[in-house]
Amino acid sequence: MNEQVEQDWLDRKLQEAAPYIEDDGFTARVLQQLPAPRQAGQFLRPFILVGMSALASALTYVLSDGGRFILVEMFRLTTIPTLWVVAFALASGMLVMAGGIFAAMSKSSHIQS
Amino acid sequence: MELTDAGLVARVLVDEDQHAFGELVRRHQSSVRGLLRQLTRGDIALADDLAQEAFVRAYKNIRGFRGEAKFSTWLYRIAYNCFREDARRRKELVGINEEQWQAEQDPQTVDPGLRHDLMHALSLLPLHERSAVLLCCQNGLSHDEAARALDIPLGTVKTNVLRGREKLKKTLAVWAQ
Repeated sequence: MNEQVEQDWLDRKLQEAAPYIEDDGFTARVLQQLPAPRQAGQFLRPFILVGMSALASALTYVLSDGGRFILVEMFRLTTIPTLWVVAFALASGMLVMAGGIFAAMSKSSHIQS
Repeated sequence: MELTDAGLVARVLVDEDQHAFGELVRRHQSSVRGLLRQLTRGDIALADDLAQEAFVRAYKNIRGFRGEAKFSTWLYRIAYNCFREDARRRKELVGINEEQWQAEQDPQTVDPGLRHDLMHALSLLPLHERSAVLLCCQNGLSHDEAARALDIPLGTVKTNVLRGREKLKKTLAVWAQ
Protein backbone atom coordinates (compact mmCIF):
# COMPACT_ATOMS: atom_id res chain seq x y z
CA MET A 1 0.00 0.00 0.00
CA ASN A 2 1.60 3.28 -1.01
CA GLU A 3 1.85 6.38 1.15
CA GLN A 4 -1.06 8.35 -0.33
CA VAL A 5 -3.47 5.40 -0.31
CA GLU A 6 -2.53 4.66 3.28
CA GLN A 7 -3.09 8.28 4.22
CA ASP A 8 -6.48 8.40 2.50
CA TRP A 9 -7.48 5.15 4.18
CA LEU A 10 -6.54 6.52 7.58
CA ASP A 11 -8.38 9.82 7.02
CA ARG A 12 -11.47 7.97 5.82
CA LYS A 13 -11.44 5.69 8.83
CA LEU A 14 -10.98 8.64 11.16
CA GLN A 15 -13.99 10.38 9.62
CA GLU A 16 -16.06 7.21 9.80
CA ALA A 17 -15.08 6.78 13.43
CA ALA A 18 -16.68 10.12 14.30
CA PRO A 19 -20.41 9.47 13.92
CA TYR A 20 -22.97 12.27 14.05
CA ILE A 21 -23.86 13.05 17.67
CA GLU A 22 -27.60 13.57 18.14
CA ASP A 23 -28.56 16.90 19.70
CA ASP A 24 -30.64 15.33 22.52
CA GLY A 25 -31.46 18.69 24.11
CA PHE A 26 -27.89 20.02 23.93
CA THR A 27 -28.89 23.13 21.95
CA ALA A 28 -31.73 23.86 24.39
CA ARG A 29 -29.30 23.63 27.31
CA VAL A 30 -26.90 26.04 25.62
CA LEU A 31 -29.70 28.51 24.86
CA GLN A 32 -30.76 28.41 28.51
CA GLN A 33 -27.25 29.44 29.52
CA LEU A 34 -27.11 32.47 27.22
CA PRO A 35 -27.42 35.92 28.78
CA ALA A 36 -30.80 37.56 28.18
CA PRO A 37 -30.81 39.77 25.09
CA ARG A 38 -30.90 43.49 25.71
CA GLN A 39 -34.40 44.89 25.42
CA ALA A 40 -35.16 47.59 22.88
CA GLY A 41 -35.94 50.08 25.66
CA GLN A 42 -32.42 49.72 27.06
CA PHE A 43 -30.98 51.49 24.04
CA LEU A 44 -33.13 54.55 24.76
CA ARG A 45 -32.42 54.59 28.49
CA PRO A 46 -29.42 57.03 28.40
CA PHE A 47 -31.34 59.43 26.15
CA ILE A 48 -34.35 59.33 28.47
CA LEU A 49 -32.13 59.97 31.50
CA VAL A 50 -30.38 62.94 29.88
CA GLY A 51 -33.72 64.36 28.69
CA MET A 52 -35.30 64.05 32.13
CA SER A 53 -32.27 65.69 33.75
CA ALA A 54 -32.39 68.59 31.32
CA LEU A 55 -36.12 69.03 31.91
CA ALA A 56 -35.68 68.95 35.69
CA SER A 57 -32.86 71.51 35.49
CA ALA A 58 -34.95 73.83 33.32
CA LEU A 59 -37.91 73.54 35.72
CA THR A 60 -35.71 74.25 38.73
CA TYR A 61 -34.24 77.29 37.00
CA VAL A 62 -37.64 78.71 36.15
CA LEU A 63 -39.21 77.95 39.54
CA SER A 64 -36.31 79.44 41.51
CA ASP A 65 -36.69 82.99 40.30
CA GLY A 66 -34.40 82.73 37.32
CA GLY A 67 -31.76 80.82 39.20
CA ARG A 68 -31.03 83.66 41.59
CA PHE A 69 -29.92 81.17 44.21
CA ILE A 70 -27.10 80.10 41.89
CA LEU A 71 -25.67 83.62 41.89
CA VAL A 72 -25.98 83.76 45.68
CA GLU A 73 -24.22 80.43 46.14
CA MET A 74 -21.47 81.39 43.71
CA PHE A 75 -20.88 84.53 45.67
CA ARG A 76 -20.66 82.48 48.85
CA LEU A 77 -18.13 80.23 47.20
CA THR A 78 -15.79 83.17 46.60
CA THR A 79 -15.71 83.81 50.32
CA ILE A 80 -14.54 80.28 51.22
CA PRO A 81 -10.86 80.21 52.38
CA THR A 82 -8.41 79.02 49.70
CA LEU A 83 -7.12 76.23 51.94
CA TRP A 84 -10.60 74.71 52.07
CA VAL A 85 -10.89 74.76 48.30
CA VAL A 86 -7.48 73.07 47.94
CA ALA A 87 -8.43 70.43 50.52
CA PHE A 88 -11.74 69.82 48.82
CA ALA A 89 -10.08 69.43 45.39
CA LEU A 90 -7.48 67.05 46.85
CA ALA A 91 -10.12 64.92 48.58
CA SER A 92 -12.23 64.79 45.42
CA GLY A 93 -9.22 63.75 43.36
CA MET A 94 -8.33 60.97 45.78
CA LEU A 95 -11.91 59.75 45.86
CA VAL A 96 -12.07 59.56 42.06
CA MET A 97 -8.68 57.82 41.96
CA ALA A 98 -9.80 55.24 44.56
CA GLY A 99 -12.94 54.62 42.53
CA GLY A 100 -10.87 54.12 39.37
CA ILE A 101 -8.50 51.68 41.08
CA PHE A 102 -11.42 49.72 42.51
CA ALA A 103 -13.13 49.57 39.10
CA ALA A 104 -9.89 48.46 37.39
CA MET A 105 -9.28 45.75 39.99
CA SER A 106 -12.79 44.35 39.79
CA LYS A 107 -12.64 44.43 35.97
CA SER A 108 -9.30 42.60 35.86
CA SER A 109 -10.49 39.93 38.30
CA HIS A 110 -13.62 39.52 36.14
CA ILE A 111 -11.48 39.05 33.00
CA GLN A 112 -9.19 36.57 34.79
CA SER A 113 -12.16 34.52 35.98
CA MET B 1 -33.44 29.12 1.57
CA GLU B 2 -31.06 28.03 4.32
CA LEU B 3 -28.93 30.81 5.76
CA THR B 4 -25.15 30.47 5.75
CA ASP B 5 -23.19 30.55 8.99
CA ALA B 6 -22.14 34.12 8.18
CA GLY B 7 -25.79 35.12 7.72
CA LEU B 8 -26.75 33.61 11.06
CA VAL B 9 -23.81 35.33 12.76
CA ALA B 10 -24.96 38.64 11.26
CA ARG B 11 -28.43 38.10 12.74
CA VAL B 12 -26.93 37.40 16.14
CA LEU B 13 -24.80 40.54 15.89
CA VAL B 14 -27.51 42.89 14.68
CA ASP B 15 -30.63 41.62 16.46
CA GLU B 16 -29.09 39.51 19.24
CA ASP B 17 -31.21 36.79 17.66
CA GLN B 18 -30.85 33.77 19.93
CA HIS B 19 -32.83 31.59 17.53
CA ALA B 20 -30.17 32.24 14.90
CA PHE B 21 -27.50 31.31 17.42
CA GLY B 22 -29.49 28.19 18.26
CA GLU B 23 -29.31 27.20 14.61
CA LEU B 24 -25.53 27.68 14.67
CA VAL B 25 -25.33 25.45 17.76
CA ARG B 26 -27.49 22.78 16.07
CA ARG B 27 -25.23 22.84 13.01
CA HIS B 28 -21.94 22.56 14.85
CA GLN B 29 -22.76 20.74 18.09
CA SER B 30 -21.89 17.32 16.73
CA SER B 31 -18.42 18.22 15.47
CA VAL B 32 -17.54 20.33 18.52
CA ARG B 33 -18.78 17.68 20.98
CA GLY B 34 -17.04 14.98 18.94
CA LEU B 35 -13.75 16.86 18.99
CA LEU B 36 -13.98 17.44 22.73
CA ARG B 37 -14.87 13.80 23.38
CA GLN B 38 -11.67 12.81 21.59
CA LEU B 39 -9.61 15.42 23.41
CA THR B 40 -10.97 14.33 26.79
CA ARG B 41 -10.35 10.70 25.87
CA GLY B 42 -13.99 9.74 25.83
CA ASP B 43 -15.20 11.58 28.94
CA ILE B 44 -18.64 12.37 27.52
CA ALA B 45 -19.95 14.37 30.48
CA LEU B 46 -16.86 16.56 30.64
CA ALA B 47 -16.79 16.97 26.86
CA ASP B 48 -20.42 18.11 26.81
CA ASP B 49 -19.85 20.55 29.68
CA LEU B 50 -16.89 22.01 27.81
CA ALA B 51 -18.87 22.16 24.57
CA GLN B 52 -21.64 24.03 26.37
CA GLU B 53 -19.11 26.44 27.84
CA ALA B 54 -17.55 26.92 24.39
CA PHE B 55 -20.87 27.81 22.75
CA VAL B 56 -21.83 30.21 25.54
CA ARG B 57 -18.40 31.83 25.26
CA ALA B 58 -18.82 32.04 21.49
CA TYR B 59 -22.14 33.85 21.94
CA LYS B 60 -20.72 36.32 24.43
CA ASN B 61 -17.70 37.06 22.23
CA ILE B 62 -19.36 36.85 18.84
CA ARG B 63 -18.30 40.41 18.08
CA GLY B 64 -14.76 39.05 18.05
CA PHE B 65 -15.60 36.87 15.04
CA ARG B 66 -14.47 38.97 12.10
CA GLY B 67 -15.20 36.45 9.39
CA GLU B 68 -11.55 36.02 8.42
CA ALA B 69 -11.84 32.28 9.08
CA LYS B 70 -14.80 29.93 8.86
CA PHE B 71 -17.18 30.06 11.81
CA SER B 72 -16.41 26.41 12.57
CA THR B 73 -12.67 27.17 12.76
CA TRP B 74 -13.34 30.00 15.19
CA LEU B 75 -15.57 27.69 17.21
CA TYR B 76 -12.95 24.92 17.31
CA ARG B 77 -10.48 27.44 18.64
CA ILE B 78 -12.80 28.43 21.48
CA ALA B 79 -13.57 24.78 22.24
CA TYR B 80 -9.86 23.92 22.27
CA ASN B 81 -9.16 26.84 24.60
CA CYS B 82 -11.95 25.68 26.94
CA PHE B 83 -10.41 22.21 26.97
CA ARG B 84 -6.91 23.52 27.70
CA GLU B 85 -8.09 25.84 30.45
CA ASP B 86 -10.00 22.99 32.05
CA ALA B 87 -7.01 20.67 31.76
CA ARG B 88 -4.81 23.32 33.34
CA ARG B 89 -7.33 23.77 36.13
CA ARG B 90 -7.28 20.05 36.75
CA LYS B 91 -3.48 20.05 36.58
CA GLU B 92 -3.51 17.10 34.27
CA LEU B 93 -2.73 18.66 30.93
CA VAL B 94 -3.00 15.63 28.69
CA GLY B 95 0.20 14.90 26.86
CA ILE B 96 2.50 15.43 29.83
CA ASN B 97 1.71 12.11 31.38
CA GLU B 98 1.66 9.97 28.28
CA GLU B 99 3.82 7.18 29.68
CA GLN B 100 1.62 6.80 32.72
CA TRP B 101 -1.49 6.84 30.52
CA GLN B 102 -0.08 4.14 28.28
CA ALA B 103 0.93 2.01 31.26
CA GLU B 104 -2.60 2.26 32.63
CA GLN B 105 -4.10 0.84 29.47
CA ASP B 106 -4.79 -2.85 29.66
CA PRO B 107 -4.49 -4.37 26.18
CA GLN B 108 -7.02 -7.04 27.18
CA THR B 109 -9.76 -4.43 27.56
CA VAL B 110 -9.31 -2.96 24.08
CA ASP B 111 -12.16 -3.82 21.73
CA PRO B 112 -10.97 -5.82 18.74
CA GLY B 113 -12.96 -3.67 16.30
CA LEU B 114 -11.11 -1.23 14.06
CA ARG B 115 -13.06 1.75 15.33
CA HIS B 116 -12.11 1.01 18.88
CA ASP B 117 -8.51 0.37 17.94
CA LEU B 118 -8.46 3.64 16.09
CA MET B 119 -9.95 5.53 19.04
CA HIS B 120 -7.50 3.84 21.36
CA ALA B 121 -4.57 4.68 19.09
CA LEU B 122 -5.78 8.28 18.92
CA SER B 123 -6.04 8.52 22.68
CA LEU B 124 -2.42 7.44 22.97
CA LEU B 125 -1.18 10.35 20.86
CA PRO B 126 0.20 13.35 22.72
CA LEU B 127 -2.27 16.22 22.90
CA HIS B 128 -0.56 18.42 20.30
CA GLU B 129 -0.52 15.60 17.73
CA ARG B 130 -4.01 14.36 18.60
CA SER B 131 -5.61 17.78 18.27
CA ALA B 132 -3.87 18.43 14.94
CA VAL B 133 -4.86 15.01 13.55
CA LEU B 134 -8.45 15.41 14.77
CA LEU B 135 -8.88 18.82 13.21
CA CYS B 136 -7.15 18.09 9.90
CA CYS B 137 -7.89 14.42 9.25
CA GLN B 138 -11.20 13.95 11.00
CA ASN B 139 -12.86 17.37 10.77
CA GLY B 140 -11.40 18.26 7.38
CA LEU B 141 -9.72 21.54 8.30
CA SER B 142 -6.82 22.71 6.18
CA HIS B 143 -3.45 23.03 7.87
CA ASP B 144 -3.88 26.79 7.82
CA GLU B 145 -7.31 26.60 9.48
CA ALA B 146 -6.01 24.18 12.10
CA ALA B 147 -3.12 26.55 12.83
CA ARG B 148 -5.66 29.31 13.47
CA ALA B 149 -7.84 27.06 15.62
CA LEU B 150 -4.94 25.81 17.71
CA ASP B 151 -3.12 29.15 17.68
CA ILE B 152 0.19 27.58 16.68
CA PRO B 153 2.44 28.12 13.63
CA LEU B 154 1.50 26.46 10.35
CA GLY B 155 4.75 24.46 10.25
CA THR B 156 4.06 23.03 13.70
CA VAL B 157 0.63 21.86 12.59
CA LYS B 158 2.11 20.12 9.56
CA THR B 159 4.73 18.40 11.70
CA ASN B 160 2.15 17.34 14.30
CA VAL B 161 -0.20 15.93 11.67
CA LEU B 162 2.64 14.07 10.00
CA ARG B 163 3.92 12.57 13.25
CA GLY B 164 0.42 11.74 14.48
CA ARG B 165 -0.46 10.04 11.19
CA GLU B 166 2.75 8.02 11.26
CA LYS B 167 2.04 6.79 14.78
CA LEU B 168 -1.55 5.91 13.90
CA LYS B 169 -0.45 4.06 10.78
CA LYS B 170 2.10 2.12 12.75
CA THR B 171 -0.44 1.19 15.43
CA LEU B 172 -3.09 0.24 12.89
CA ALA B 173 -0.76 -1.44 10.40
CA VAL B 174 -2.49 -4.76 10.84
CA TRP B 175 -5.85 -3.26 9.77
CA ALA B 176 -4.44 -1.52 6.71
CA GLN B 177 -3.24 -4.74 5.14
